[in-house]
Amino acid sequence: MDFSIQLDKVCKSFGGHRVVNDMSIRIPEGSIYGFLGPNGAGKTTTIRIIMGILYPDSGSVSVLGVANPELVKDKLGYLPEEKGLYKKMKTLELISYFGQLKGMPKQAARHRASALLEEFGLAASAQEKCDTLSKGMGQKVQILATLIHDPELVVLDEPFSGLDPINVELVRQVILDLKQKGKTVIFSTHVMEQAEQICDYVLLVNHGRKLLDGTVAEVRQSNLQTISVEYTGNPEAFKLEGVTRVNDMGNRAEISIAANVDPQGILKTLLSRLNIRSFSIKEPTLHEVFVRTVKESEA
Amino acid sequence: MNRAILIAQREYMENVRTRGFWMGIMMLPVILLLLAVIPLVVEETREAKTYAVIDQSGWLHQAIQREINIDDLSEVLLAVVGKQQRRVPDMLMPLSVIEPPVDKHRAHDLARRIIEGPGAPVSLPSTYETYLISNDVRQWWSDESTADRATWSSRLSTRQFLLQPSSLTAPEMNEQIQAGSLFAYFIISPDPLTASAESRYVSNNLTDRDLLNWYTVYGDRLIRNARLERENIKAEVAERINTPLSFVGVKVTGTGSQETINRDDIARQWAPVAFVYLLWFSILINTQMLLTNTIEEKSNKLVEVLLSSVSPITLMTGKIAGIAATGLTIILTWATLGLAFFMIIPGVLNITLPIDFSSILADRILLGSFLVYFILGYLLYAALLVGLGSVCSTLKEAQNMMLPVQLIQMIPIFVMVPIGRDPNGLLAQILSYVPPLTPFVMMNRAAAPPSTFEYVVTTGLLVISIVLAMWVAAKIFRIGILMTGKRPGFMQILRLLRAPVADQPLGS
Repeated sequence: MDFSIQLDKVCKSFGGHRVVNDMSIRIPEGSIYGFLGPNGAGKTTTIRIIMGILYPDSGSVSVLGVANPELVKDKLGYLPEEKGLYKKMKTLELISYFGQLKGMPKQAARHRASALLEEFGLAASAQEKCDTLSKGMGQKVQILATLIHDPELVVLDEPFSGLDPINVELVRQVILDLKQKGKTVIFSTHVMEQAEQICDYVLLVNHGRKLLDGTVAEVRQSNLQTISVEYTGNPEAFKLEGVTRVNDMGNRAEISIAANVDPQGILKTLLSRLNIRSFSIKEPTLHEVFVRTVKESEA
Repeated sequence: MNRAILIAQREYMENVRTRGFWMGIMMLPVILLLLAVIPLVVEETREAKTYAVIDQSGWLHQAIQREINIDDLSEVLLAVVGKQQRRVPDMLMPLSVIEPPVDKHRAHDLARRIIEGPGAPVSLPSTYETYLISNDVRQWWSDESTADRATWSSRLSTRQFLLQPSSLTAPEMNEQIQAGSLFAYFIISPDPLTASAESRYVSNNLTDRDLLNWYTVYGDRLIRNARLERENIKAEVAERINTPLSFVGVKVTGTGSQETINRDDIARQWAPVAFVYLLWFSILINTQMLLTNTIEEKSNKLVEVLLSSVSPITLMTGKIAGIAATGLTIILTWATLGLAFFMIIPGVLNITLPIDFSSILADRILLGSFLVYFILGYLLYAALLVGLGSVCSTLKEAQNMMLPVQLIQMIPIFVMVPIGRDPNGLLAQILSYVPPLTPFVMMNRAAAPPSTFEYVVTTGLLVISIVLAMWVAAKIFRIGILMTGKRPGFMQILRLLRAPVADQPLGS
């Protein structure tokens, strides 16, 4: 498999505070890769290192096959978490300006900008100044400015935050289209449902450290599975080897078991000790994996 | 590098395209113009102050009026010859063919002869003078009303002070002063020639002493002459005795010969000061603009997107260049307006300026060093401010950090006059070697140009400091521009200097 990005033991500190710690990531080409983690986990700093905006203190970086992201900046598209526009510039001008900054010739940039505006239903606003746009339109323009130069690798930092449902759908579609065209997309989020729906791979970080990474299925399986039972009897029965946590609500309990333990075996043992009215075995959602893993890492 | 130009271009267009920018530029010339014109207009429209005289001496008042009359007529003669007025009285037509300039004393002598008749002591009469004297100009002049006289020259005393002939008593005049119909009145003592004589000036306005001073000058001169006469000293003798010692200013030219100093020379000597002020002002507003702009860029969240496309150095270079272009636009606009003003206005108003401003404005050394020092000075301060600005999130924060820079920027203003007086003195020489002051001080000294050695060394030092400052600024800018929240402390900024600055790091 070819990798668009490889980070190897990357570290970065600000004023003695380690923001990214021993981070190793491999992002396969053409995949959608989600960076998950609580606020302040080091997602944005990692992204900035990938974009060549910040240099790592140690460790090595490879982006699109080169060690220095600045050399391939023109093939990267970046939509930061904090988004803005030049208020006094016209929409078309702004988008083509960013295309030119990515090395596009002026005419080509203008043509592509107006084609994109057309495609996204903003043709009528091409000559409007950016400060007259509605918030939703402004967000579209920001995305177009990120994509105008047809980048190989697109990095979206919290692309869904603050969007209304229609724009969430739009951004999701943009991401899926990029994958369709064989581009690599990285995005960071702390909304797990979105990641679960569209990501091929996810990475879970906290306090600058990688906690988990892999395909969505791998990550879900690698984490604790849950058996949910409705029962009567002595809850002491839950104290079994392989059970890591019990959330007992009296008549019902959620039993978390370690990844390498067979849930069937646990269930059999429970059936022999308790009166079980109903049961279910389920894989954790990404959200549960996220919350649990983060809590465990903090414990 | 192309992208730095792209950034500079955008920056420039954004500034230059706004109406506010051009209105701002026009403000300065408009204000200057108004400052020059308003006093003239006010002077023009101000009503003359009326005054009256109670003359107990029986002669002084009349003598004073005669002198005033001579002065007024002499102004009219000068106006005709100097072609200051559009209309020329028929009676004085022959004078209008004389080419200016006309000697003020001669005009005065002529006016005296016209008024006092052939007996008056004057210089040799020319054909015109003979004509004027023989053709009863005197009669014509005395027949002209005050209002008519005022149309022949704008400099007549009657425009400012108007005598109100009256036979009123002092208490009656007091009433008029209180009613506002009379500005002031004089009471001349019965024997003004005695030392202890007490004359009076009565007015309710104690601050405006123009009338008093003007009238006193005439009275003084007449009294002195009368006293001399009483002591049997001839007026000419007294004048000879009173002639002061006078030195004529001479300068040594480049070829070693001597040349008399004229007003243009003096203006040229002080012209650099005006340029220093303009330089200071231009650098100040441009670096301010850069600072505001940097902080704005930070707050409109675009900086990260820009940095994903270009390196911080390119971004910084582009910004500095864009604002520099904006600044040059402002200066060139002012220079063009200034030149146009001094070249066109004298023609329109039909006046000759006492000093040839346009030649000073177009002086190659002055203008050339101005442009060079503007660019160098701007670059140095730009580096300082862009570095400082990049670590601040708000303008307020930036202003606190700016204080030391602003204090340095004030020094050239404080030393401007001392250096102008002694352009090659010790103070000037020492300050020339302090890079943040070099542009201003060297500009200040341009009138008596410093040696080539000094030019080379100070400019070299300045360029080295610019390179150093840019290098430091780039390092701070690279990290600072992404910082949010609390502004970093001094030590933290020093730590930023250890970060690599290269366009392409990591040896790839």
